[in-house]
Amino acid sequence: MTALPKNILPLTNIRRERVLPILGHVVARRLQKVTPTNVIVEANLKPEFILLDVAEGLNVSPRRADELLQRQEGDELAQGDVIAGPVGLFQRVIRAPFPGVIRIAGEGKILFEKASQAYELQAGLEGTVTSIIPERGAVIETRGVLIQGVWGNQKVTYGVMNPLSQLLDREVQQDQIDISHRGSIVAGGFCTDPEVLESAQAAPIKGLILGSMSSSLIPTARKMAYPIVVIDGFGKRPMNRAAAKLLTTNQERNVSLNAQRYDPYQGNYPEITITLPVSEGVGFPPEAEDFTAGQDVYVTSGPAAGQTGSIQRVLGEKYTFPSGIKAWGAEVSLKSGNTLVIPLANMRVLNQ
Amino acid sequence: MATEVQSLLAIDIGATNTKVNLFDIVGGRYRFISYGEAPSTAGAPLFDIGEGIWEAIAALERKSHRKIISEEGALIAPSTPENTGVDLVVATMSAGKPLKVLAVGLQQDVSLQAAEQLAATTYARVVDTISLNDRRSESERINLIAQTRPEVILMAGGTNDGASRSLLNLIEVVGLASYLQDESHKPHVLYIGNEELHSEVKSSLSRITDLHLAPNILPLVGSKTLYPAQKEYFSIFKEVRKKQSSGISQLLSWTNGQFASSATAISRVVRFLSKKYEPDKGVLGVDLGSQSTVFSAAFDGEEALRVFPYLGMGTGSPTVLERSSLGKITRWLPTAIPESRVEDYLHQKYLYPASVPTEPGELALEHALARQVLRIAVKEGLKFLPDGARQTQPDLLPLVEPIIGSGKVLTEAPSRAHSTLILLDGLQPTGVTTLALDQNGLLPALGAVSPHSPLLAVQVIESSTFLNLGTVIAPVGYARPGTPILRMQIQREDGRRSTREIKYGSLMVLPTHQGEKVTLHLRPLHGFDVGMGGPGRSGRVSAVGGALGVIIDARGRPLQFSSDPERNQKRNQQWLKILQKFE
Repeated sequence: MTALPKNILPLTNIRRERVLPILGHVVARRLQKVTPTNVIVEANLKPEFILLDVAEGLNVSPRRADELLQRQEGDELAQGDVIAGPVGLFQRVIRAPFPGVIRIAGEGKILFEKASQAYELQAGLEGTVTSIIPERGAVIETRGVLIQGVWGNQKVTYGVMNPLSQLLDREVQQDQIDISHRGSIVAGGFCTDPEVLESAQAAPIKGLILGSMSSSLIPTARKMAYPIVVIDGFGKRPMNRAAAKLLTTNQERNVSLNAQRYDPYQGNYPEITITLPVSEGVGFPPEAEDFTAGQDVYVTSGPAAGQTGSIQRVLGEKYTFPSGIKAWGAEVSLKSGNTLVIPLANMRVLNQ
Repeated sequence: MATEVQSLLAIDIGATNTKVNLFDIVGGRYRFISYGEAPSTAGAPLFDIGEGIWEAIAALERKSHRKIISEEGALIAPSTPENTGVDLVVATMSAGKPLKVLAVGLQQDVSLQAAEQLAATTYARVVDTISLNDRRSESERINLIAQTRPEVILMAGGTNDGASRSLLNLIEVVGLASYLQDESHKPHVLYIGNEELHSEVKSSLSRITDLHLAPNILPLVGSKTLYPAQKEYFSIFKEVRKKQSSGISQLLSWTNGQFASSATAISRVVRFLSKKYEPDKGVLGVDLGSQSTVFSAAFDGEEALRVFPYLGMGTGSPTVLERSSLGKITRWLPTAIPESRVEDYLHQKYLYPASVPTEPGELALEHALARQVLRIAVKEGLKFLPDGARQTQPDLLPLVEPIIGSGKVLTEAPSRAHSTLILLDGLQPTGVTTLALDQNGLLPALGAVSPHSPLLAVQVIESSTFLNLGTVIAPVGYARPGTPILRMQIQREDGRRSTREIKYGSLMVLPTHQGEKVTLHLRPLHGFDVGMGGPGRSGRVSAVGGALGVIIDARGRPLQFSSDPERNQKRNQQWLKILQKFE
């Protein structure tokens, strides 16, 4: 059975394509060193148009209106600039209602696009731009730590790692985040209290990494100005040991936090990367493989969710679980010391 | 061609799993032979449906000891006398992100509604609608299209000798907005309005959009014909999918360019059965998928197909909370589970849609979710029933025979009692019907096969591919709990006779052997309706015992719940125990 990976890697090659879904203006250059918040490409994701009926405005035929046009497609205009006219006794004119660009002109009408603030797509990680994708974005590469998350509140930051404890296995309390965390990226076990998120904002911290979070906090988390990345999922579970170890051993290092939304169709995950000063010879993590004995695994669901372990053996026939469901499974020796049969569908191969 | 087919491979690419089913002739009749299954690879990280198909075929080869793929990695076709390969391959697909559709119509409650109805016949999400009634300016309409960037625009409006001017205005708006999109985002426009405007539509839109013309879905006042437009709509679905995932071109080379959406294939089977079975009743098929749910009802060939994207047991699970409260899910639980845990579970399921419930609490939660998904599907599905549908009450499921349930949550439930109770609670059938389980997940395959080999579809359906869970008798009406509402005389094949009095609020099973025929004389009391032609009307029914016998569901329609969660939990436990006793 094809096993998808969970990446919690202390050293790997990381390559990310950062592209917009529509055409835009790429501002990054090839071989440029970028930080996560550097803008790569910008575009107007929510264009606004107004259809101006020039013929009606000037009280002339569409053909005559076209003759009276003073501007053409592609012209950039300031508010009040004359588009067409003057005509008639009162020298009637049509003016630009706001700054913008003429997109279509003809048959007595003008489609005018309002100038607006462009959406800026950030790099999302520290690294080097290795290639440009014309009008879409760029490919950024780096080497270092990669921790794959599962939920993010769609913000990006860069800052110093500041874990709340060594194991990151406890619930984050409101009084644990104080002025000493100001400007840093805080890592904690799990969070169930919206007040914690609010007080972290007040500190203010630069970012937050959690093992898990109550799903009821999703609306509050989305409103926070700082990025939040959840690594294991929803509920009250400590952070998985592999991720906790990587975060605590990289205390004081600069961390890129890309809290992009998990997209099951595109395969984009929120992630934490730490660029390390290493030269060549580092490979990319495998994308998918088969479950086999000896493999390190990460449990995604069920009572052991968030735990890591290694496969003792893959069972040759379906196993009946306490729920009564029969499914393909494997005997897994968990780092917690227990050995359990876990459905293959509830595991990911742990790239660590 | 149809008669030459001996063996057939049906590939179904689901959001979570890819399944291949092998059919062949055994003893002069077509039979389902075996299947293979593997995780779907349409999306990340592989973006290639091929990987999942290869793995599923490999699983099938191991199971059936039959080679389908040659040593060189090519499909063996046609089949050989050495019993390798297959004669025909058909494919269906439900995987992938639902299409982004914009529905455009003249009148909100006529053409726009019909366009939305068409949109819902495949895996698509209506991102917005435009109609003459929406009071938007032309600029606002252009902005809406430019900002939502639909992949498909369905344009309906006007009968064939009807409105044209207002429709031309809308066409101009669609044209302007489409012109503004970059090449890779030019929408497919499916024009399904007044056919007299075809040449104007072509001249306005063919150069700036990917234009498709289909027969008017509302050709005359009061008549609606979705089917031809549906075919064109599906060809767009196919084109969009081809761009999203590689491997589809190879699949099409195996299938001679043919493939169907799983929902379309399911509706074909349902439509076919509706012509075959009791003409005065319909047939209902429901497929509970990971990402989407399919509700397909047909009445003497007239169908109501509705696909609910983002409503399902995996990636579609958190959306259930947007469509109904958490309490509507927890009311189905047999034990107390904190609401916070339920909510966390649904969000976790979105992250890992293929995960399996290992603990009883998790199982109860998934089954509660399945019931609520079905409730939502029924409520929405009832809005588009064809005229031929007979209902005992407007808000209840119409009279259908049989009901076919499909989806892993049903087929892989720990017991048949679990599957049966999910269907009974979720659908709440009325009158007399049969619950059948698509135990091997063959509905999409049979639908895909039917145009190529109708005989195969018929013979496989007639074999025991659908497991009869039981005949259900569900009287409709209101009474105090404990009030006798139905007298039932039972006559068995061996001549034994007995009488039962059914009380309101009860769920009971009349034990029978699988396949045993019993004749039931039903006499409803207090104006209850058992679908025999009206409230209080009696009648005789021939029933065939299913896996659970004959089930008399007198719990009331719709099911009522107590404000005390503990009472509901106890009741849910009891109902399952009652059915489990007769398994």
